Amino acid sequence: MQSTNKLLISVAGSGKTTYLVRQALTVSDSVLITTYTEANEREIRKKFYQINGCIPSNVTIQTWFSFLLQHGAKPYQGSLFDGKINGLLLVNSASGINYKNKQGIAVSFSEEKNFKEHYFSKNGKIYSDKLSKFVIRCNEKSDGSVIRRLAKIYKNVFVDEVQDLAGNDLEILKLIFKTDIKTLLVGDPRQVTYLTHHERTNSKYKNGNIKGFIEDKCSGTCNVDEVTLRLSHRNNADICSFSSKLFPNLEKSQPCECLECRSTPDHHNGVYIIRSCDVEKYHLMYSPVVLRHQLAVTPEWNFGNCKGLGFNRVLIYPTKPIVQYLKTGILTKTVKDGSTGKIKIKDTLDTAKFYVALTRAKYSVAIVYDYTDETFIDGITKFSFE
Amino acid sequence: MHISKVIISNFKSYRQPFCLELEKGLNILVGNNETGKSTILEAIHLALSGLSNGRYFINDLSEYYFNYESVQEYLSSLASPSPLPPPEISIEIFFAGEELAVFEGNGNSTKQNECGLNFNIQLAEKYRGEYNEYIALGNISALPIEFYEVNWTSFARESITPRKIPIKSAMIDSTSNRYRNGSDIYISHILRNHLEEKDKNGLTQAHRRLQTQFVNDDSVKKVNDIISSLVGKGTAEKSLKLTVDLSSRDAWESSFLTSVEEIPFHHIGKGEQAIIKTKLALEHKKSKEANILLIEEPENHLSHSKLNQLIKDIHDKCIDKQILISTHSSFVANKLGLEKLVIIENKIPLRLKNLKNDTQEFFEKLPGYDTLRLILCKKAILVEGDCDELLVQRAYMDKNNGRLPIEDQIDVISVGTSFLRFLQIASKIGKPVNVVTDTDGDVNSLKVKYAEYLGAGAEDSIKICYDDIIDSGDLLLANNKPFNYNTLEPKFLKANGVKKLNKILGIDKNEDDLHLYMKNNKTSCALKIFETKEQIQFPKYILDAIDK
Repeated sequence: MQSTNKLLISVAGSGKTTYLVRQALTVSDSVLITTYTEANEREIRKKFYQINGCIPSNVTIQTWFSFLLQHGAKPYQGSLFDGKINGLLLVNSASGINYKNKQGIAVSFSEEKNFKEHYFSKNGKIYSDKLSKFVIRCNEKSDGSVIRRLAKIYKNVFVDEVQDLAGNDLEILKLIFKTDIKTLLVGDPRQVTYLTHHERTNSKYKNGNIKGFIEDKCSGTCNVDEVTLRLSHRNNADICSFSSKLFPNLEKSQPCECLECRSTPDHHNGVYIIRSCDVEKYHLMYSPVVLRHQLAVTPEWNFGNCKGLGFNRVLIYPTKPIVQYLKTGILTKTVKDGSTGKIKIKDTLDTAKFYVALTRAKYSVAIVYDYTDETFIDGITKFSFE
Repeated sequence: MHISKVIISNFKSYRQPFCLELEKGLNILVGNNETGKSTILEAIHLALSGLSNGRYFINDLSEYYFNYESVQEYLSSLASPSPLPPPEISIEIFFAGEELAVFEGNGNSTKQNECGLNFNIQLAEKYRGEYNEYIALGNISALPIEFYEVNWTSFARESITPRKIPIKSAMIDSTSNRYRNGSDIYISHILRNHLEEKDKNGLTQAHRRLQTQFVNDDSVKKVNDIISSLVGKGTAEKSLKLTVDLSSRDAWESSFLTSVEEIPFHHIGKGEQAIIKTKLALEHKKSKEANILLIEEPENHLSHSKLNQLIKDIHDKCIDKQILISTHSSFVANKLGLEKLVIIENKIPLRLKNLKNDTQEFFEKLPGYDTLRLILCKKAILVEGDCDELLVQRAYMDKNNGRLPIEDQIDVISVGTSFLRFLQIASKIGKPVNVVTDTDGDVNSLKVKYAEYLGAGAEDSIKICYDDIIDSGDLLLANNKPFNYNTLEPKFLKANGVKKLNKILGIDKNEDDLHLYMKNNKTSCALKIFETKEQIQFPKYILDAIDK
């Protein structure tokens, strides 16, 4: 039987947001489009205006967290917690820490004994990493009312950048699959720049293994499509092949060959490395968009926030691990855990963020590094004005 | 989609949460003056539209919307060691139907999964600091209303605006609230609820075009030339001119006038106004919205025939509409059907259907008039028959300087043998009732019959009056059955003596013949006693019954 739920695996620049918006425009009943970052939420809105001139009244766009708050937590929180939820507190690490023990390991408030402290900050904001767990609990306590209510409100739920979802988020998706709601998930496993939270639940499916989750846990309720969105309309062949090196285990991305996509300028295409003394002149000549690891100030972008955006040319300020990778091409290293003595394999750099940064560009990527005569991995050209 | 329940707390006379269940179709609120019928209508209208007395409530917020006792209690607590939190008004509206999932959740006072909205007037969180400073000053004599805010939330704990509420209310009452141009606010409101968004926008645009036309009119232009030439001298750069206010989105609402056959709506008769408003509201046909009609005392301003017409309209159209009528006219209530009746008394709503099954059927067969008399009076004296009624009335008049009991809102109702059924209603609504009954010589079975209302655990409001002395004699009736000495007439004879009674009745008989005569001519005897100028005595149990 053809399932009404679909996961589309995409590559960067394949136009997945455009695809999502066009799909949304074909349905006449209620649609919820949700995504993790606010930047992408804005991007979806913008796409609607570009394609359709307006956002139809049957379409609701909201971020994953605001969706969870409005439809997941608040309607049936009464069975768990009677107070007012004053919004969301974004946390980057485990929240609700009670104390640190002698070894310096954080011990958190337990859900059973310190329910309120486990989920909420002192001023009544719910911790972002616990929100989806809270929703799952609400649904359990209310006998499935949360999901039942949702199914009455939305006939379609579309999730963009689904690779960002983790842990209990995936459990929520699983529950939605079992309803009459038609779901459409699109995501790029290479672009896990943020995770909604870090948790043991479903931890083997984080870091972009949403496909694994769907195949292992939701077989029969959701189909996986890796074909529709496999071509990049944005990156040229050089950028495609260079960026694909970051994920040797995944299918290499391919540039779309249609004329419209490939109307490239006749010079300065590809991946370059540039000395800082040349940056000013480079700016005047090519006006690239600057991408930084952090602390970007408009009109510059952080690697993380520019997901979903496309620029003609970008100028990247790399981190040390990125430079190291560009020199050696080594993606992983083995590390010995200090306390347990176990040997673990770790990434040498934040591949996802670097991948995102690289794949923003249509024509050229320039990486700022004061090179001398060292060698770099294949695909990089040393740039200079001489 | 309709309103299934309303819970009102701390609003005007309703202090404790007052829960009123509503049915699809027609609901009739009956009750005396000052029982809070209109407050219920007002609360529902306010929660659904944000309007009170035709004005946006938010601009009109005052202490007087809060329950008086709770405000007083709060104010006096401020100086005490344990100050109370500032009072809050809450109105909860429950929706029935599956179409409104967005409003579903357990964010309501019942904590159950329900569909609906909360309307709250409470201290604004953002003013808490200012409030604390204000309270710290001491000597507070009024509710600090300036720190209050009005909030609507769905049961899913989501903030909403009144525009988003899917059930619109139309209030029809005899008060008239007008815009500055005289156009009636309620009729505009009702009309607006009829219009789809598209039509409304069309009207706004047409209104704008009209205004532009006005500005471009030659004579207006000429005026503008004059104005700008006046100001122009010296300050050449900036021109001054006359223009029309285009600011408000719904400007048309306040500048358009509804008129009936060329006569402005507010100039036609009040009765006609009520009929037109009701008809318009009844015709409401928007698919995505439901609509509730709140009609306040339709008997006001209407002639009997107009009232009949209005009631017929309501009756015919109410099948797919929800209507809430408040009335104290037994005519209106009776015409529209007793089964739709909600009795409001002592802040307790009672539906006839909540009575025991056979009692409900009994009242459905009754013309209804007597039921309403019981509901609408301040106190009732229930008697068995017309004669008892006359004697009780006379006893009351003798004791109260010739005032009829009804003048003191005490209604003497003759109920035949149905005492218990009436008492059931009375005890449900806490209505004070005195029962005057014969013992027929068997006090024990009477005590069994009224066990619920006698002795320990009995309600104070219900008093059973009977003579516990059993009289007897050897008089036999024509069919050789013994004469019943324990009814009203023999007791009356006993109290006044043979001589007095002969005088009152204008006859001359011995005791036994008098007994028989009074038994066979009950009504004429009762009338004669009622009208006599003689000083008369009443059995003690009658005096007990008229005792306040």
